[in-house]
Amino acid sequence: MRAIVLAAALLLTGCATQQAKPDLSAFNAAKPRSILVVPAANKSLDVDAPNYLLTTLTVPLAEKGYYVFPVHTAKTVLEQEGFFDGDQVQKQAPEAMAQLFGADAVLYVTINRWDAQYAILATTVTVDFDYRLVYKDGTELWKANKKMQYTPQNQSSGNPLADLIASAVVAALQRAKPNYLPLAQMANAQVLAGEPTAIPNGPYLPAN
Amino acid sequence: MKLIYATMFALALSGCASKGLYDWGGYSAALYNSYKDPATVTDGVQQLQTHIGKLEQGRQKVPPGLYADLGMLQLQAGDKEHAQANFRKERALWPESAGLMDALINNGAMPKAKEVKS
Repeated sequence: MRAIVLAAALLLTGCATQQAKPDLSAFNAAKPRSILVVPAANKSLDVDAPNYLLTTLTVPLAEKGYYVFPVHTAKTVLEQEGFFDGDQVQKQAPEAMAQLFGADAVLYVTINRWDAQYAILATTVTVDFDYRLVYKDGTELWKANKKMQYTPQNQSSGNPLADLIASAVVAALQRAKPNYLPLAQMANAQVLAGEPTAIPNGPYLPAN
Repeated sequence: MKLIYATMFALALSGCASKGLYDWGGYSAALYNSYKDPATVTDGVQQLQTHIGKLEQGRQKVPPGLYADLGMLQLQAGDKEHAQANFRKERALWPESAGLMDALINNGAMPKAKEVKS
């Protein structure tokens, strides 16, 4: 049931958002091979959000053909260097960060929202991220924003009572444990691989 | 009706994502679980080991970062020997990782084995 409603919500909110196509000339000139994902800066109230988000970025970046530095290893090394959160990391020069790891480019993410708003029959879960990819010489290669919301109330069965019960069940599940991960994964996949914000393919993905 | 939902779901999943260069196993989930509940780290290590073993046997390319993050989890659990072996494998498979992996292999001063901070 949740899967169905989630699919419906994603179909409705997912690929429809219109954004300006980013200027990719610097990206295409730089041709980065490897990307370092650093812990995200967090403007949400959920202190766990940066850790959870970190686990969702490797797959879509690597599937675009880039070498992605091991996120858990990078995070641990940064902690050894005294950087325990993304806000600190983002204050460092990208050049220094790239050099420390031998990375071609660094991906910075800011979490604007990672929250659930509760209503009687429907809970709206929202994630909102700013993404910024910076080359090792400090040039900004790409930036984008992605916001995704999941409101389980889009699919009508034609039977009002059945709809009501379905909404109540989903809302109860959401209230018990809002699941941000699928939304975060979807946001990342769409912003990195979906138009108009997609990044160019990297060296391990044959040209399309 | 069920079929329509299934199709929609499949479209939602495949529509905007890419075709799939790698078999990731439970990599993301293992990390997520280890951040959520540090007690699951041992399971995560096991899961990654099993998955990597399967890929190696099937001669499939191990995705970027899997050897290294497995190695880091092992290092944090005090298993320096296996950690180093996995850092070497990451380096051999992915030349882009050479700088970081060399630092991890040679320079014990960089990330010391200590409890997971997350």
